[in-house]
Amino acid sequence: MRRSLAVGSAAGCIVALGLVAVPAQAISPTTADLYVLHAVPATPVDVYVNGALTLDDFQPGDLAGPLDLAAGTYTVAITAADAADDSAPVIGPIDLPLAAGTSYTAVAHLGATGTPTATLFTNDLAKTAPGQGRLTVRHVAAAPAVDVLAGGSPVITNLANPAEAKLDLAAGTVSAAVAATGTTTPVIGPTDVAVQDGVNTILYAWGSLEAGTLAIASQTIGGLHSAPNAVPAGEAGLVADPDPAPFVWGAGAMLLLLAAAAALSVSRARSDRRELPARHGRSGR
Amino acid sequence: MLALIAGCSANPAAEHPVPSAPATAEGSVGPTPRPAPPAVPIQGTDLAPAAEVMPPVRIAIPDARIDIAVAPVGVLDTGVMELPAQVDVAGWYRFGPGPASAAGATVLAAHVDSLRYGRGPFSRLKELGVGATVTVTTADGAAHAYTITSNERVSKQEIPLDAVFDQAGAPRLVLITCGGQFDQGTGHYLDNILVTATPVAG
Repeated sequence: MRRSLAVGSAAGCIVALGLVAVPAQAISPTTADLYVLHAVPATPVDVYVNGALTLDDFQPGDLAGPLDLAAGTYTVAITAADAADDSAPVIGPIDLPLAAGTSYTAVAHLGATGTPTATLFTNDLAKTAPGQGRLTVRHVAAAPAVDVLAGGSPVITNLANPAEAKLDLAAGTVSAAVAATGTTTPVIGPTDVAVQDGVNTILYAWGSLEAGTLAIASQTIGGLHSAPNAVPAGEAGLVADPDPAPFVWGAGAMLLLLAAAAALSVSRARSDRRELPARHGRSGR
Repeated sequence: MLALIAGCSANPAAEHPVPSAPATAEGSVGPTPRPAPPAVPIQGTDLAPAAEVMPPVRIAIPDARIDIAVAPVGVLDTGVMELPAQVDVAGWYRFGPGPASAAGATVLAAHVDSLRYGRGPFSRLKELGVGATVTVTTADGAAHAYTITSNERVSKQEIPLDAVFDQAGAPRLVLITCGGQFDQGTGHYLDNILVTATPVAG
């Protein structure tokens, strides 16, 4: 759970690094969740929401939130960290329409050719199948289109800034890398990524290819798990309850009846033979 | 209009009124300290390994003469819970809580019988009464004691698996096997035996 390491005037509550997967059910039928990711390298910023300073001295690579906001449209402006107000933003102002019951991440990032911009992503909170997790990859780097490799093979191809792709896969550890599309030489990674049951692990490729600052940022949202759909824990019928209801007919039951009938006819044959004179040799069959 | 912002602070409007426009962009006597915004949780984005759950390795229920090993299991491709083939090894659902978890159900299941191994120790689960003691030992050697609070036979058509495999709520132990009538045609029992136990305090 979250704990306050320090409450300074600048940064607000600091929480443990990335290990806490926030439950998906923090949102409600009237509110949206908004996370904000600072993915512009080397530039601390201030973030204003509807004209009010909301994030002060926000550091590159940090993730803020969730902000629990009533459904509606919010105007976001991002300024240099030492700006007096939001009159001269470096990004925005942009309008973010937020729907109730939905989780969003707003990302301040470099466009494909290096111009700072912002993109609003919707986080997929659909339940995962039992034993599966979700991997979401978002390209927010100043770089051309990329492929995402898992274990050396592309699982996502031709992903361009500022698009996303996602896939559900079996829980486990994946060795992930990012390469220029159509190639397999990593520009980021390979690095181990934990795919966890019921968790949407959102990976952001951010930074600048030219400046050599490409990196992966990770956000996790949990609480998406499903229970197994059955517990089949028996197969031999050795401890079955006696059946007071009409017999459960099935192929097995029919075989039992036939076997019973065969046993009956054999015993009749045996009793017939016993009535024959003993001089005919061995009794029985 | 300020949005309702939930964070470490309850009343953002009182804590930072919207600042009035500065008289000039330059030449102020000295910087007016801006009111601090309400605290918003901030976290880093380094890739982190999966959270590890301390696994159970043994379960003992003296009243049912059960003392068997526990192995972690997941699901099969069909989405059903995987179970160890041996009847004398219980499977722990490894995607859910464990005995040391702060919340939710630790689920252990074992075959009541198998064609290969015959009748198993969990065939005696249905004999257990409320109040019986269960001890689950985890890999670190810690012994976790529980008291049985319910023991029921539930139709597989009706068993509330979302509640059984609940990862939230009070920490508890759930033991599952099969029972009831047996369908010769499908080779399956019609019911699950569902035993719930709560941790012994201290």
